[in-house]
Amino acid sequence: MSESVVRTRRWSRVEYERLIEEGVFQAGERLELLAGQLVVREPQATPHATGIRLVTRALREVFGQDRWIVDMQLPVALDEESEPEPDVTVTADDPRDFLPSHPARPALVVEVAEASLALDREEKGSLYARARVPEYWILNLRDRVLEVYREPHPDPSSPHGWAYRSRQSLAAGEHVTPSAAPSARIAAANLLP
Amino acid sequence: MQTTYPRTRRWTRAEYDRLIDKGVFRPDERLELLAGHLVVREPQGGPHILAIERLNEVLRVAFGPEWRVRIQLPIALDDESEPEPDVSVAAGRPLETTEAKPSRLALVVEVAESGLALDREYKGSLYARARVPDYWIVNLVDRVLEVYRDPMPDASASYGCSYRSVQSLSAGEHVSPLAAPTARIPVSDLLP
Repeated sequence: MSESVVRTRRWSRVEYERLIEEGVFQAGERLELLAGQLVVREPQATPHATGIRLVTRALREVFGQDRWIVDMQLPVALDEESEPEPDVTVTADDPRDFLPSHPARPALVVEVAEASLALDREEKGSLYARARVPEYWILNLRDRVLEVYREPHPDPSSPHGWAYRSRQSLAAGEHVTPSAAPSARIAAANLLP
Repeated sequence: MQTTYPRTRRWTRAEYDRLIDKGVFRPDERLELLAGHLVVREPQGGPHILAIERLNEVLRVAFGPEWRVRIQLPIALDDESEPEPDVSVAAGRPLETTEAKPSRLALVVEVAESGLALDREYKGSLYARARVPDYWIVNLVDRVLEVYRDPMPDASASYGCSYRSVQSLSAGEHVSPLAAPTARIPVSDLLP
């Protein structure tokens, strides 16, 4: 049903977590709450899964174990109406800090994109920027590049009013340095399946 | 069914009823489940309310005591739809029935002030798919009564079905419900 004709109900993050606790969803359902909408995650092909493993391995190497947590596909309490499960997140501090609630402020979010490229760039990019996630990467499997987004800023033309000012596209021969790990140097080739 | 990108989760009617039972929604929320989507009902203007009151009065007389004339109450339309039409008419005596959400309807009426596209294209196709034999839209924009009958498969419709017979009746004309063929209702009685 097109958005222009009907308005569908939006969910808050608190409501979404209650639905999960009440066991409303089927086991094995893959959902994300994005700006109040319950979005179905598409099934993943093997290059997508491989990309997640490669990114996770590389980030665990450069971020180390004591001050950072590198998570795969775990929920982020992004804002009042969003609880995405990014492919990879890097968050500061101790895992037990997040027993009462999911982490809200990752230092780095990574999505691995094949079919979901438009969603990851426009919808999620704008949502992450609105939540002031300082750095966002898209491992773009379609064009075999790593897209690096930094400096969230207000942008009324974006779906959620925010976008990233700095956008870089790194090909296999290039390197990336995460803002939160300034001494690290990761070859984009090591991230691409 | 057109799929918007990204794909949002669709709900079954059983899940929707469970959400209601668990008290997930706020008491003042006005929602309908339409083809798996939780649709927010728009606020009603004065003419819309008056039209419903007229329908209530006129249809109770036309149908008589063997029929339930229900105002904005849920109907169990199909496995993924539980709309609350402005008026729904089902067989049975109101004081004796135990069926809270009827699924076999003799007549469904929607009053349209602005949401004409929703009532015509989406709900019309859903009601046709559920084989509702008689569907009316009190069209307050053009001041006519639209009468839809004879549901049929139609690949070009939103949900694969539409109505073969479409009539638009203006204030000087009359309408007889299919299930109450001896009643003769002036269309002007339905237009506030």
